[in-house]
Amino acid sequence: MQKVSIFLFFLFSCVSVFAQNPARVTIKGIIQDTSSVGMGGATVMLLTPKDSSLINFSRANDKGIFEFKNVKNANYILKVSYVGYLPYQQVLAPSPTEIADLGNIGIKPISKELLEVVVRTARAPLTIKGDTIEYDARSFKVPAGSTVEDLLRRLPGMEIDAQGNIKAQGKDVKKVLVDGKTFFGDDPKAATKNLGAETISKVQVFNDKSEQAKLTGVDDGKKEKAINLELKEEYKKGAFGKITGAVGTDSRMAARGNYNKFNKTSQFSILGYGNNINETGVSWGDYGEFKGNNAFNNNDNGDFGFGGGNRYYYSSNDGIMNNFDGRGFTNNGGGGVNYNFDNKKTKFNSSYFYNQTRLFLDQYLSKKTFLENSAFLTTDTSSQNNFRGNHSIGTRFERMIDSSNTLIVKANMKAGMKNDVNTMFQRNLTEEGILRNRSDINNLTDLTNFSLNTNAIFRHKFKKKGRSFALSLGYNINDSNGTEDLKSISRLFDAKTFSEQVRAVRQINNDENRQNLVKGGAMFLEPLSKKFYWETFYNFSSENRSVNRQALNGLQENQRFDSLSTYFENNISYNRVGTSFRYSHAGVNISVGAASLQYGLGSKEFTGKGGQLLKSISKNYPAFIPNFDASLELKNNLYFNLSYTMEISAPDLADLQPVINNNNPLFTSTGNPDLNPEKNHSVNLSMYKFDPSSFLNINIWGNYNYYLSQVVYNQTVDLNTLKVRTRPENLSGGDNYSIGSYISFPIIKTKLTVNFNPYIRLSNNPTYINGVLNESNNKNYNINFGLSLTPSEKLIVGLNTSLGINNIKNTLGEAPNQNIRNNSFDASIKWNFIKKTFLETNLDYKYFKNERFGFEQDIPIFNCSVRRLFMKENKLELRLAAFDIFNKRQNIVQSGYQNTVSTQKALTLARYFMLSVTYNLKGHESKLKKNEGW
Amino acid sequence: MKITIISAFLLLSSFVNFAQQNEGVVYYTRTSRWTKMIETIDYMSKQEREKMAYMFGNKDDWKQYTILYFSEKQTKYIDSEQKSEESEGYSGRKEEYVIKRNFEKNSTTDIIEMLGKVYIVEDSLIAPNWKILNDIKDVAGHICMKAMVEDTLKKQKIVAWFAQDIPVNAGPERLYGLPGLILELDINNGAVIIEASKIENKKLVQELDLPKKMKGKKVNEAAYQDLIRKHMASMKKEEQYPFWGVRY
Repeated sequence: MQKVSIFLFFLFSCVSVFAQNPARVTIKGIIQDTSSVGMGGATVMLLTPKDSSLINFSRANDKGIFEFKNVKNANYILKVSYVGYLPYQQVLAPSPTEIADLGNIGIKPISKELLEVVVRTARAPLTIKGDTIEYDARSFKVPAGSTVEDLLRRLPGMEIDAQGNIKAQGKDVKKVLVDGKTFFGDDPKAATKNLGAETISKVQVFNDKSEQAKLTGVDDGKKEKAINLELKEEYKKGAFGKITGAVGTDSRMAARGNYNKFNKTSQFSILGYGNNINETGVSWGDYGEFKGNNAFNNNDNGDFGFGGGNRYYYSSNDGIMNNFDGRGFTNNGGGGVNYNFDNKKTKFNSSYFYNQTRLFLDQYLSKKTFLENSAFLTTDTSSQNNFRGNHSIGTRFERMIDSSNTLIVKANMKAGMKNDVNTMFQRNLTEEGILRNRSDINNLTDLTNFSLNTNAIFRHKFKKKGRSFALSLGYNINDSNGTEDLKSISRLFDAKTFSEQVRAVRQINNDENRQNLVKGGAMFLEPLSKKFYWETFYNFSSENRSVNRQALNGLQENQRFDSLSTYFENNISYNRVGTSFRYSHAGVNISVGAASLQYGLGSKEFTGKGGQLLKSISKNYPAFIPNFDASLELKNNLYFNLSYTMEISAPDLADLQPVINNNNPLFTSTGNPDLNPEKNHSVNLSMYKFDPSSFLNINIWGNYNYYLSQVVYNQTVDLNTLKVRTRPENLSGGDNYSIGSYISFPIIKTKLTVNFNPYIRLSNNPTYINGVLNESNNKNYNINFGLSLTPSEKLIVGLNTSLGINNIKNTLGEAPNQNIRNNSFDASIKWNFIKKTFLETNLDYKYFKNERFGFEQDIPIFNCSVRRLFMKENKLELRLAAFDIFNKRQNIVQSGYQNTVSTQKALTLARYFMLSVTYNLKGHESKLKKNEGW
Repeated sequence: MKITIISAFLLLSSFVNFAQQNEGVVYYTRTSRWTKMIETIDYMSKQEREKMAYMFGNKDDWKQYTILYFSEKQTKYIDSEQKSEESEGYSGRKEEYVIKRNFEKNSTTDIIEMLGKVYIVEDSLIAPNWKILNDIKDVAGHICMKAMVEDTLKKQKIVAWFAQDIPVNAGPERLYGLPGLILELDINNGAVIIEASKIENKKLVQELDLPKKMKGKKVNEAAYQDLIRKHMASMKKEEQYPFWGVRY
């Protein structure tokens, strides 16, 4: 109170003084240096005393005279600055006269040492406050583990002798303070020798009164240098994580947890999960958190090609993410650790992960196969019990050797096993419903596999801007060993002889597959001018593969089946050299290029390992590949892209090996060692437009592929027994088109948004069926329509409809058109109805129909959950959820492929209720999110 | 040490002939850091922002280049067509951006493409409300003083470092009004840093001229600010990045 009254009194007295002062004033003076020479060109500023706001500025003339004419008569700070001189400031009170002559203002030069400090520290911010100099410790790099003494040695204007005595600007430093306090007594060396440099944010050097002066209170004018060390607030480090446990009806349960610890240069994380609710892995968000800054890496596989081949980001998923396909029941578990180190120059990542899944699957398939003059029906009921377990270890090392050289080395190793039990009951009937054959199959598979992928890439940037060079080298291994135990009894009712009518298989396959691949590449980029670039690349690879199958006849004392055994060697060499010219300027990037490649395809077939050579194939397959790519970025956020290339790819090993696969005796397949690579023209077109003011999004795309050589599975069907044999062969003439669009815009901005997504896919797939060409024309029309309504921050409603028609026409015989319908409707609500309490519910209605099959099914699935946040920072979440309340869930897939149309039904997890608890170290989100993820 | 004295001497002597320095070109490097840009977005929770920073690691920055032509009477600031090293020669389209200040006529003419449209902002000069601080540092060979201003529209804290020895009250982006040429700008604690890399003193011929054809919607400063304000408010409501469509 007293203070206030004094203040008020002061204010009044000021006002009374003001009353007589003129409203406007001219302020002038002369800036001089210590030897009274006028400082021409000195900057003079008028600031408000309250917050240093700049009111006016001017420059002194060549005599050092400055003048502010007709400025408001008020309190000011007058500030003078001049290169090489200490900033000078003076407080000005309102002037009683119209001209405030400040007379001579002397400014002092910055001492040589101090100026050196400013110039030499270059970009390091340095503050001069009166006679205190403040260094920003972060700007002076010292090795990890250095003491403050080491840091001080780096500071310009600072000297430290062998004993650790400190001199600042030539004067002894008598005192070192830490955060303004004396550190362990008076010895200045105690702090500098013991404190770590990384704990310091600022170093301040100032003149302190001498101890004598402090003691006596009489300023003797002697000044002593002192140093104050300011500590950093907090090192950039932290931890986050969450853990969830859930139990449900029908012994459903789930647990998942992750924990991450990080500091400025390293990130460490662990992740684990286990459940029987069909989550075969974790979500994208959890995966990203686990991998940290290793989640995205430049596409660094070293396969240089058109467009540099290394501009895009990719993320390898390592099988950690959930990839459940909707069929069956799974028990899942997995866990791993990840470590990343990144100090900008060196980046090192490593991770280990193990995951396993056991799948129990019961499914029913009904299929119609079209032949030249007839068709037949297949029904099969199968039951599978499959186990997969995988260990994977990945490391990546990236080092910026210097500003022009970078090295990347990667190695990924995987070791896995799988174990499958597959029982199937299959029947094939004529169109009239006459049973022609049936088969009972009971197969077991045991397989272990090992793979190693290594890759090194070296990049060099030349002195000439834009010129660069890259080299890559890689070595991959992929081995597997397995045993298949095949048991089946088939009856072919219309076979001619009795021995063909009942066929029993009891066969053991011992398989050894070996693959190794050496590859390398080089790339050179040369800027021809500011707008034109020339790119050249070369790739080679050599892949050796061998398949050793020993088929044993279980019905005849495990004698070797010579007809079903093989030892097969395959070598694919690949050489490609290509070049392209590119124009790049102002958002227009157009590149035209071509490559020449040659595949060397060789294979050798033996009677067995170390046995006699049966057949040898060796051929060269050359190709010329043109390439065109144009991308345009136009005004108003409009983007266009048009590209053409020829795609070419080597055949799969499974399609090459000349051995009969009789896992299903009614449907056998044989490889074809004579296969040529697949080759197709590919054209892509896309357009994108975004209007940021109306939030309108338009995306339109189209693509076209035409096969010059396509691997198709030609069929031979025995018309009496309906036994099918397939063999891969090259065929030309297949093509496919697709065109689609996605449009979204708000009807009421920020409240109601609609989206519209129609697309059409047309494809023509030729195959030979009993030597007659069949063209299967697939026409797929889809329309999706969605609506999102946000009436308030607490309620989000979504509606989505999807209508799909698939029309299939086979040219063989007079097969009628097939129409498959897949429709769905989904409504969802997210409602934050009480503080920290959320209701989330959705109804998903699916409708399937195939009129010719007489198939019609609808599946309504209704889910509902309530969750509430508890504790400080909402760290705890309790959630009660009901899944598939109507108990209707099953998986249905309708498809048309080659000369077949099929409907497949599989059982899967239906109604269950679940209670889950999640503890999040950093707390849960307490409001609804409009956009999931980012 | 000798070099320092010589350079200091040079600095001083060049200052005496400062008249020669008052016309020329400044080349700036504009570095944007994504994880810093999202630090000020309030529809994202702290946790989400931290997660993003965690996943980006040290790989969240990109570079652009800008040019400022200056004389005592007028300045013009534009985006350069220079490509960054990471681009491997690929070129993105630059949005139209010409910032022209005429101190003689007390006028501004800015051609700014934003929200999918080109606007021509014409108004008289209103200098930002700068606060002058005591710090000094060296930028591109010039000793600079620190000044600060707050952009209340875009909610940005801007730190400028202005040269004591180039007495032109110009600067990059839309900023000016300090006793010396601004050689460095730091927007929102490092989210965007615009730093001079080279300063050339030369007589300008027509570099300061505005393009002959100017197509766009004419607005004044208040209307321009209103457009941004409305856009940012609705983006925020949509929980979308508010600087999508507007220069940071």
